[in-house]
Amino acid sequence: MGILATSGSFTRYAVMEDLTGQLASELPERLAKFSFRDIDQTTDERSYGWVCLEDWLDSFWRTAPPEKAHYMTFSLRLDTRRIPPAVIKKHFLLAIKAEKEAMKETGKSFISKDRKEELKDQVMLKLRARFLPIPAVFDAVWNLRSNQVLLATTNSKIKTMFEEYFLLSFGLNLEQLTPYFMARRIVDQSRHAMLDDLEPSPFAAP
Amino acid sequence: MDLIKAAMQDVVLGQDFLTWLWFRSEKNGWLFSMPGSGEFNVFLEQRISVRGGSGDNVEKAVVTGPHAEFTEAKLGLRNGKLVDKALVRIERDGATWMVLLASDDFSLSGLKTPKIETKLEEGDDPDAPFLEKMMLLEQCMEFVDELYRQFLEVRLSTNWLDELRVFRAWLAEQ
Repeated sequence: MGILATSGSFTRYAVMEDLTGQLASELPERLAKFSFRDIDQTTDERSYGWVCLEDWLDSFWRTAPPEKAHYMTFSLRLDTRRIPPAVIKKHFLLAIKAEKEAMKETGKSFISKDRKEELKDQVMLKLRARFLPIPAVFDAVWNLRSNQVLLATTNSKIKTMFEEYFLLSFGLNLEQLTPYFMARRIVDQSRHAMLDDLEPSPFAAP
Repeated sequence: MDLIKAAMQDVVLGQDFLTWLWFRSEKNGWLFSMPGSGEFNVFLEQRISVRGGSGDNVEKAVVTGPHAEFTEAKLGLRNGKLVDKALVRIERDGATWMVLLASDDFSLSGLKTPKIETKLEEGDDPDAPFLEKMMLLEQCMEFVDELYRQFLEVRLSTNWLDELRVFRAWLAEQ
């Protein structure tokens, strides 16, 4: 979901560590180092990394630089090869049949568990070569002044992937601004213990 | 605090906040003010969901409708349920934001900002639409943060019990 779209879903984060001037200057370099690598011509199941916000086919920021005023912009691109289970099942059964046919000449008919695993791996590899990965893109904007990040998704798997990859790329941890963590940022430290002990309010009954 | 305990407190704070916001916006005549930035309107409309119970006994009621009175949702409140999602419309100076706010993690779904001009004229800054959109998105978050700040102020004060009494009177009027 693009940042510029009419409507979008977002998750808010605060970067837990301070952003040093040195790191700020290294950000474009780090984005490039951890950029997305295409897997169309491979048999990899999955690939993810950063791409240009303006053009998700651009892993080199040729279209536009990631810096915009006091924001650092990038998108997380995730390509996944999804093979329907029924297709896997069919080709595995075909492989077993072919194996049994070949074994007839030797008079054997038993296929060991290990051999079955091997056949399954071979089937998966062949199928992965024939299925194109499905791309998905999630925009992110890092406000370098407030040191907060806006990610254009609320999907929990993507959030986890983003948080881990952000840490790997920049060496910084993200704290999602959920009600509890947001409250800790808003209220005075002397009242943090109160937040920890709050119980649901009896709105309906005294 | 560990993340599991934090997630539990997220639910407590988030549900208390949205339940309070529904009542407080109506009591305030949908008007809130932000220090230094003037007044803004907040309406909870079209979609609200309430939730009660825990574990396997969770019960939820989602009420939607363009002009919904939320009678069923208010009935839910009377039965001890609390608001867990609400479609919030925020207005200031003729500009409108819409967002579905979730109590458990404050995720912002279907966030619509006022429209921006995406067509560029010659000589325009190519980043202008992005910067305008970011300003509008951050404004929306500032409104939400301010509402949450106002909630926390009363929630953590000794006035909270008085606020609950006013809430019950409001609920009884419905």
